Amino acid sequence: MAPGEFFGFLGPNGAGKTTTINAVTGLANYQSGRVRVFGHDVTSDYRRSRAEIGLVPQEFNFDPFLSAEQILEFEGGYFGIPHRETKKRASELLEVFGLSEKRKDGYKRLSGGMKRRLLIARALMHNPRILILDEPTAGVDLELRHQLWDFLRRLNREGKTLFLTTHYIEEAEKLCTRVGVIHQGRMVGLDSTAKLIREISADRIVFYLKKEMTFLPEAAAGLGLRLEESGRRISFEEKAGLVPRVLKTLQALDQEVEKIDVEHPTLEDAFLKLTGKNESYIRPLMPSHLEMPEEK
Amino acid sequence: MNSRIGFRTLVRREIVRFFSVLSQTIFPPLVSSFLYIFIFGLSLGARIEAVNGVPYLRYMIPGLVMMYVIEASYTNTSSSLFISRWANNIEELLVTPLSYFEMVLAILIGGLARSLVIALGVWGISLFFDRFAPHDPLLVFYFLIFVSLIFSSVGMMVALFAEEFEHLTVATTFVITPLVFLGGVFHSLSMIPEALRWVARYNPIFYMVDGMRYAMLGVSDIPAKTSAAVVLVFFAVLFSANVWLFKTGFKLRK
Repeated sequence: MAPGEFFGFLGPNGAGKTTTINAVTGLANYQSGRVRVFGHDVTSDYRRSRAEIGLVPQEFNFDPFLSAEQILEFEGGYFGIPHRETKKRASELLEVFGLSEKRKDGYKRLSGGMKRRLLIARALMHNPRILILDEPTAGVDLELRHQLWDFLRRLNREGKTLFLTTHYIEEAEKLCTRVGVIHQGRMVGLDSTAKLIREISADRIVFYLKKEMTFLPEAAAGLGLRLEESGRRISFEEKAGLVPRVLKTLQALDQEVEKIDVEHPTLEDAFLKLTGKNESYIRPLMPSHLEMPEEK
Repeated sequence: MNSRIGFRTLVRREIVRFFSVLSQTIFPPLVSSFLYIFIFGLSLGARIEAVNGVPYLRYMIPGLVMMYVIEASYTNTSSSLFISRWANNIEELLVTPLSYFEMVLAILIGGLARSLVIALGVWGISLFFDRFAPHDPLLVFYFLIFVSLIFSSVGMMVALFAEEFEHLTVATTFVITPLVFLGGVFHSLSMIPEALRWVARYNPIFYMVDGMRYAMLGVSDIPAKTSAAVVLVFFAVLFSANVWLFKTGFKLRK
């Protein structure tokens, strides 16, 4: 990652996203390789590397004995900020995140959205150079999600480096300038968001048919066509010279095209291709699963 | 980064924690120490002969102070660290730039602070029944501080090994309490059978109680220098072990 970057780190569940974050922040041991944060090794020079990082974890991990205000003040203190300064910053951050009225409450009395905001406020207490966010918008409502996006964009514009993992691919597509995709512990894609989408997934051409097509004849299937919407739609990935060939084939099958459309790929398409997630993990229920037991 | 501020903050957090639950951390030992002194010292003690030339009530007080110091320091660090592991807020600490040495020492000082409050309280309560000037006040502080740090270290280690809350009390019930009671809190070596006297010499708590008794009353079963040395060695070993466990991330890092 380059300083000032907004980096998205994507991957399916269990791919290794949180493990990677834990290795960077000192919450996990690792057996081989090196991790450096702004040039500081996270093992041999852990004090300096940790001072640069603000971590927003996926799970709420607040001190159960402290109020929202104390959580922020103690966090500032751990990072060496003098008491008067921590009080000032805590007050400002509580204001920024709309938590001023709840400053004296323990975290258990806060709503889910408030806890998320408090996690971010806590990570910003020591003004870190890099903010690592592990699923920061998981479980928050749409309005707050958009507010958080604006806030993160603003932080990045002001020069803060951001590292984000998310399940919402749309989130990464909207926010991140560069994206890495991890699958089964290995990086399977790493590029600027736009380039990754362009290189991995091509545009899809969609033909809307006048007549319903019940099945794809062999000649059509060989072209990589996909029959959709009960036979009223055919789609295929754009390749040089393919459109006239498909049109010719449809003509031979006595099919008329009503409308032509082009669908641009999204980061989600690229993600699914890289991680092979088109295949479903969930199998259909067997008829025996649907039978109701007889009452005796 | 100013590391002294970080260290002081963690010490403060540990103190805020036990002061936020005073009814669980401070008052119960004070109430039970009053009962011990009243029932064992005043009522039953009047029927017991002087031990090494000291009335039994007075003889018992240093042992009682030590018993509550051990209990308070062990309970403070074991519950603080275990709750932090259980609630996962230990992560909040592990991602800070504090060194592992500072983390361990700050948590131990939290245990020390609680046990000093308890020691003062027990001492204060004993003044209602018997008043005497400590034989060697500096030595009193030596034993208070190091015994507290030793059992704060033990508490931390148990909290790291424990998987459930019950494991914390298992260590108290089956190891610490028997060693405390056999360690001479209520008796002198001269009051127990020869075989038990031999066993007592392998009980580290015996040295702590006996050392404290010398510091407060000027009487002891073994030389105070031996007790002071045993206490220092135990602290050095346990403190180093805790720093090492933190450094390797034992049950702290994934």
